[in-house]
Amino acid sequence: MLTKGDKILIALIIVSAVLIFTGFQMYTFGGERTYAVIEINGRLFQKISLGKGGPILQLKVPGIMGESIVEINRDKVRMLYSPCPDKDCMHQGWISRPGQMIVCLPNRVVIKIQSESTPNDQLDGVSF
Amino acid sequence: MIERRKMISLSLLVTCGLVLHIIENMIPIPFPIPGAKLGLANVISLLAIVIYGLKEGLMVNILRCLIGAGLTGSAASLLYSLSGAILSTLMMALFYKYFKKVFSLVGISIIGGVAHNFAQVTVACIVLSTFGLYVYLPFLMVTGLFTGIFTGFTAAYLYKNLFAALLKINLPGKERIKNEAKLS
Repeated sequence: MLTKGDKILIALIIVSAVLIFTGFQMYTFGGERTYAVIEINGRLFQKISLGKGGPILQLKVPGIMGESIVEINRDKVRMLYSPCPDKDCMHQGWISRPGQMIVCLPNRVVIKIQSESTPNDQLDGVSF
Repeated sequence: MIERRKMISLSLLVTCGLVLHIIENMIPIPFPIPGAKLGLANVISLLAIVIYGLKEGLMVNILRCLIGAGLTGSAASLLYSLSGAILSTLMMALFYKYFKKVFSLVGISIIGGVAHNFAQVTVACIVLSTFGLYVYLPFLMVTGLFTGIFTGFTAAYLYKNLFAALLKINLPGKERIKNEAKLS
């Protein structure tokens, strides 16, 4: 029942969908400047710009319970060490995309990834 | 002045579309893509286009959207469904008229499904005034493709079985069907 034109159409739509998808991936994750924002107990501690030419460093963050160590590697961030009991923040691994965050509740340390185009007061979702 | 028989059959098509519209609202969608749905009512609009043409297809589809929004109580989403319905009907009628030999009903239905989703995303972008929603477009294109294939096959079988029935009762689409029968 499918004609040749149908099959070409199906292939065309799948290819264009993949192209648009990869285009958005490259556009949103390659072109924008991202920042790692580290907060202690709700107050800003440090804001570090990430990217291909970003820093490689280990940062000591004085939390409520003790010193956490945050590792920054060019465009990604992780919690290398934390004095908290469950170590959930350490198990979360690397984060790099805007909107992702690592929260260490016992030590009150929050690491957020932000980008220039996504301000803090962005909408989470809209429903109609 | 629309002929009485035609008016009755068009209102029957609207009714069938409404029932499908309401049933579709009851079916839960297993994946979290906003705006993705089965588009069962597309079967009816495709049928209206094939039997009558663009004007009647638009009439059936717009009426179905307006009454359907009132019946299901989702008046806020009327803007999305109406824009999607209008664009998809226009595209389907256009492709059916000029590329009938290239695409079967399945292809026409795929075009309708993708056009419907494209219109919805565009209207959502205008309403929320961000272009970031186009991120959803590839996912919606693929869902539109698969639902389009499904509704296209349904419409094709329905049309094939309605064929004999339409010839028996003297519908105004009869002349058109006769011509098509000669062609194929």
